[in-house]
Amino acid sequence: MSIELTPNDSAVRADRATQLALTLARELWVVKDRLLVLEAVLASEGFAALGARVDAFQPDTATRAAIDAERKRFIAEVTAALDSPPDRQS
Amino acid sequence: MEFQLKQRGRASLHFLSDLAVSTSRFKSRIDADIKAAGLDEASLADDLDERLRQVDAALAESPAAAALAALTEYSGVNHGRVAAAAFDEVRGDLEPRLKALMQGPTTIEPIPGERRPSYADAAWIHRTTGGWDGHEYQGFIHGELIHREYVARNYPGDIFAQRRQILSVLPRRDYQRIFEIGTSSGHYTLQIAAEFPQAEIWGCDPSLRMLEQAQRVANERGLRWRLFHGSADDTGLEAGSVDLVTSYIVLHEIPRTAIHTQLREAYRLLRPGGDILFSDVTRYAALNKAGVRWAEYNAVHGGEPFWRESASLDLADAARAAGFVNVRSEGFGGGIYPWFVYGHKAS
Repeated sequence: MSIELTPNDSAVRADRATQLALTLARELWVVKDRLLVLEAVLASEGFAALGARVDAFQPDTATRAAIDAERKRFIAEVTAALDSPPDRQS
Repeated sequence: MEFQLKQRGRASLHFLSDLAVSTSRFKSRIDADIKAAGLDEASLADDLDERLRQVDAALAESPAAAALAALTEYSGVNHGRVAAAAFDEVRGDLEPRLKALMQGPTTIEPIPGERRPSYADAAWIHRTTGGWDGHEYQGFIHGELIHREYVARNYPGDIFAQRRQILSVLPRRDYQRIFEIGTSSGHYTLQIAAEFPQAEIWGCDPSLRMLEQAQRVANERGLRWRLFHGSADDTGLEAGSVDLVTSYIVLHEIPRTAIHTQLREAYRLLRPGGDILFSDVTRYAALNKAGVRWAEYNAVHGGEPFWRESASLDLADAARAAGFVNVRSEGFGGGIYPWFVYGHKAS
């Protein structure tokens, strides 16, 4: 069996910051994708001037709690890239 | 089975897939950096480990090499995790349908011989978190999400058509019972069943989770496969009971000693006049030094602990040593991928 990392590859595996940045990019894409979907859904429902309405929106207590919970999940997901690599190689 | 992912899962999986596709642009830059460092076929070392050290030193300051490694590392570790998370989002909707498809003409039974060889636990193959049995529905996740949405978009050609085309190598169309090694989630098995509709199909795999997906795939189509949970090293099945033994892209997942063992077991299982057809990755002997270096790179980053020892093996010699005649070991259609070894058990 032969999985031996070269010095360069070892450095890459130790570089958790880059992995974190890529996880952030993935999360950002999920949000961008969702916004595009959301805008398409709302436009099909006849909503207009969406940008201005979003800017002016003030979340109520329940909405704020939901946002808080999602932010905690988001931070846990992103910082998971700083944990030990989740694979086993002997 | 028709299904839909939720937005998060779909977007995450497509991001990972497109991220992996985007890395191809770095490879030509890396080749140029290697050449600029004065390394070519003449100056690259014959010894593979020494060659890897040569190239690694040459690429120490290469931005393209650093970028490719970072992106490949991220995709390698995360594609399985993202696919599992995408499945978990829709598990509640899919689970009743997945369970219902376990019922039907296709069965799973313990193989009479060895259930799980020790090398199967040497590493998480393909860096899939938890390994092949790491999720209750890993077979569905691998077969339907990773294979269709990630692997198929990252490998050249139509990976499903390749599984059908390779069967044209076989000299007969009248096989009565076919034994597949490494059935996994059933993609190759489906092609075998389509090409040889009259044949009884047996298959084995040390991963129960993968076999369960193969069972669903077969039941959904009304196919009657007999699947054995266990290793092809020592099946315990009756000698002379099948007339074709075949596998697709399995050999590089097992150590060299197991390849020899499975060739001998295939010979034992075959009736006189039977055939083997094992397809796999390109042999190192068919690649130049730079090509082997890239294969090693993909193996290391892709979680392939046995790739080197497998791809370095002369499959023709190994098949002949197991007793086969009329042996062919070559790239399909005059190319270099997929590679195959064919052998015949004399009547």
